[in-house]
Amino acid sequence: MHSLFEKIKIAVMYLVLAIGLVFVLFPIFYMVVSSFKSNIEIMAGGANFFPVKWSMDNYITAWNSDVFNVKRLIWNSIYYTVLVVLFTAANSCIAGYVFARGRFKGKKLWFGVFTALMFVNFGGANILPTLQIIAKLHLSGSLSGLIVVKFFGINVVNIYLVKSFVSSLPKELDEAAMIDGCSFFGIFRRIIAPLLLPIVATVVMLGFQGSWNEYLMPMVFTASDPLKGTLVSGLFYLKSSGGAATNWNILLAGSVIASIPVLIVYLYGNKYFIQGLTAGAVKG
Amino acid sequence: MNGILSRKKRSFFTKHDIECTALLLPEIIGFFVFTIYPIIWAVQKAFYYYNGIQSRTTFVGLDNFKALFTTNGAYWSALGNSFLFTIGKLPFEIPIALILAIIVSKNYKGFKASRVILYLPTIISVAVVGLVFTNMFSYFGYINAVLMKLGIIKSGIDFFASKGSAMMVIIIASIWQTFGINTIYFLVALSNIPTEVYESAKLDGAGTLVTFFKITLPLISPVFATILLLAINGSLQTGDIILTLTNGAPGGQTEVVMTYLLKSMVPGFAQTNADIGFGCAVAMVNAVIFSLVALIYIRLSKKVVSYF
Repeated sequence: MHSLFEKIKIAVMYLVLAIGLVFVLFPIFYMVVSSFKSNIEIMAGGANFFPVKWSMDNYITAWNSDVFNVKRLIWNSIYYTVLVVLFTAANSCIAGYVFARGRFKGKKLWFGVFTALMFVNFGGANILPTLQIIAKLHLSGSLSGLIVVKFFGINVVNIYLVKSFVSSLPKELDEAAMIDGCSFFGIFRRIIAPLLLPIVATVVMLGFQGSWNEYLMPMVFTASDPLKGTLVSGLFYLKSSGGAATNWNILLAGSVIASIPVLIVYLYGNKYFIQGLTAGAVKG
Repeated sequence: MNGILSRKKRSFFTKHDIECTALLLPEIIGFFVFTIYPIIWAVQKAFYYYNGIQSRTTFVGLDNFKALFTTNGAYWSALGNSFLFTIGKLPFEIPIALILAIIVSKNYKGFKASRVILYLPTIISVAVVGLVFTNMFSYFGYINAVLMKLGIIKSGIDFFASKGSAMMVIIIASIWQTFGINTIYFLVALSNIPTEVYESAKLDGAGTLVTFFKITLPLISPVFATILLLAINGSLQTGDIILTLTNGAPGGQTEVVMTYLLKSMVPGFAQTNADIGFGCAVAMVNAVIFSLVALIYIRLSKKVVSYF
C-alpha cells in the first residue's frame, strides 16, 4: 500500500530511532557487563566490551567490603526512601485534597506561595541554616535529620497532581457524605482517600525514584560518617574521596545494585511515571 | 461545601478555615522553618564575614558584594561555564528530543515500547551516570580504546585533562541523562495536535518538511517555549552531574555556578574555614542573574511565538 517514498521515510525513522536506542542503552549495558570484569580490565581493558572471564567477584567484594559497606548502605537507603515516600505521599495527598475541596481563608495565598517556591533556588545558601536547625533537634549526622526536613517539605508537583485528580472526582460524593454527617477530614478519610490510588501510585513512584537516587543532600547530612548515608551517596563519596582508581570494581557493582530497584519499579510502573511527569509539568 | 462556610459566619475564622489550615500544617511549618528562615539567614549573612565560628563574625557591609564585582573571578568564570554548558548542550538535546518524539509519536511497530526505553536514563541516579561516563571516557578506558582501534585517533585522548574535552564529556553525559524527559514533553505537545490538521495538509499536497515547518512547529510553539525555558533553567542550574563527572577538573576549569556555590559554603564540600558570608552574597547575586535570564527569555519567546 505504501509508496516508495513512504517506505523510505519509514526506514529512515526506524534507523534514527535505532541510533537513539543504542545511544540510550549502551552506557547501561556497559555498566552491567563491566561489573563482571576484573578491576584491571575495568580500568584498562581495551576495546573489549565483554569481560575475558565473567566473574561475580566484584559483587562478593562489594558485599563484604568495610570501606563500602553495601549491606549497611542498602539498609540506610531503604530506611530513608520508605519514610520519605510515606511522609511526602501522605502530606501531598492531604494538601492536594485541601486545595481542591477546601474553601478557606488563605487558600489562594498558600497556594500561590507554595507554587512560587518551585522557582526559588538559593543554590545551597539554605543548606547551612537547615543543618543548624537539625543540630538543635539533636539529629545531626544522620539520615533522620534529612527525613525531618523532607517531612516538612513542600512537594509542589505532587500537590498539583493530587489537586487536579481530586478536582476531577464528582462533588456529589462529598455532598452525600456531608449529609450523612461526615466532617471535612472525614470525607477525605472515608470517601476521597480510597479513590486516590492511581495518583498515589504516581506520587509514590516519582518519590521512590527521587529519594533513592538522591545523593547530594544525604551526603551533606551524613558528611561526618559516610556509612550513615544512602547507597547512592556512598557511591558518590567513594568516587570523590580519591579511592576511585583502586575501587572501580566496587563502584560498578555498587552502581548496578543501586540501579536495580529503580529499574524494576520503572519497568513495572512506567505508565504511572510518564503520567505523573506529563500531568505535573506540562499541564500544571 | 457552602454549608460549612455559612454555618459559622459570626467569627472571623470559621471551623472550616481552622481545619484546612491545620491539615496544611506540615507544609506551613516547613515553609517558615525550612524556607523563609534559611533565606533570611542567608540574606543577612551576605553582609557579614562569617566562617562558621560565631565569635569571629564581623559586619562588613557591602564588602562581600564589592569583592564579588571587583576582585573575585572564580564565580564569573563558573557563571561563564554554566552558560557554555547550556549553549553547548541544548542545540543538540532539543532537536534530538523533538525528532525522536515525532518519530515515536507515529504508530509503527515497536515505537510505543521505544518511548519507555528513551526515558530510561532519566530513571538512573546522576551519581551512577557520572561514574559510568567517567569510566568510559577515562584515559585507558573503553571509548579511547575503540577510537584507536577504529583508527580515528592515534593515541588516547585524556578527556578530563583539558577544558574543552572535559566539557564535551559532561555535555554528552548530560544529554544522555535528560533528553528523555524532553522527548516525553514533546510527545504530549504533539498528541494535542488534532489529526484532522495533518489530513487536510496531506490533501493539499504538503510534503513532510512543509508539514513540519508550517503545521507541527507553529502548533507546538507555545509548549516548545515552555520546554525550552525549563531546559535553559535546568541547564544553568546543573551541578550534580559535573560534581560526579569532573568535580571541576581540570583545575576548576569546568566549575559551574552550582558546584562553585556548593564548594563555597556547604559542609562536606567547602573548606572548613570558608567565608560563608561571601558565599551567601554570591548566591543572592546569582539568584538575581538567573531570574533575569528567565525574564528576558519569557519576553523574547513571546515575541518569537507571536511570529507564527
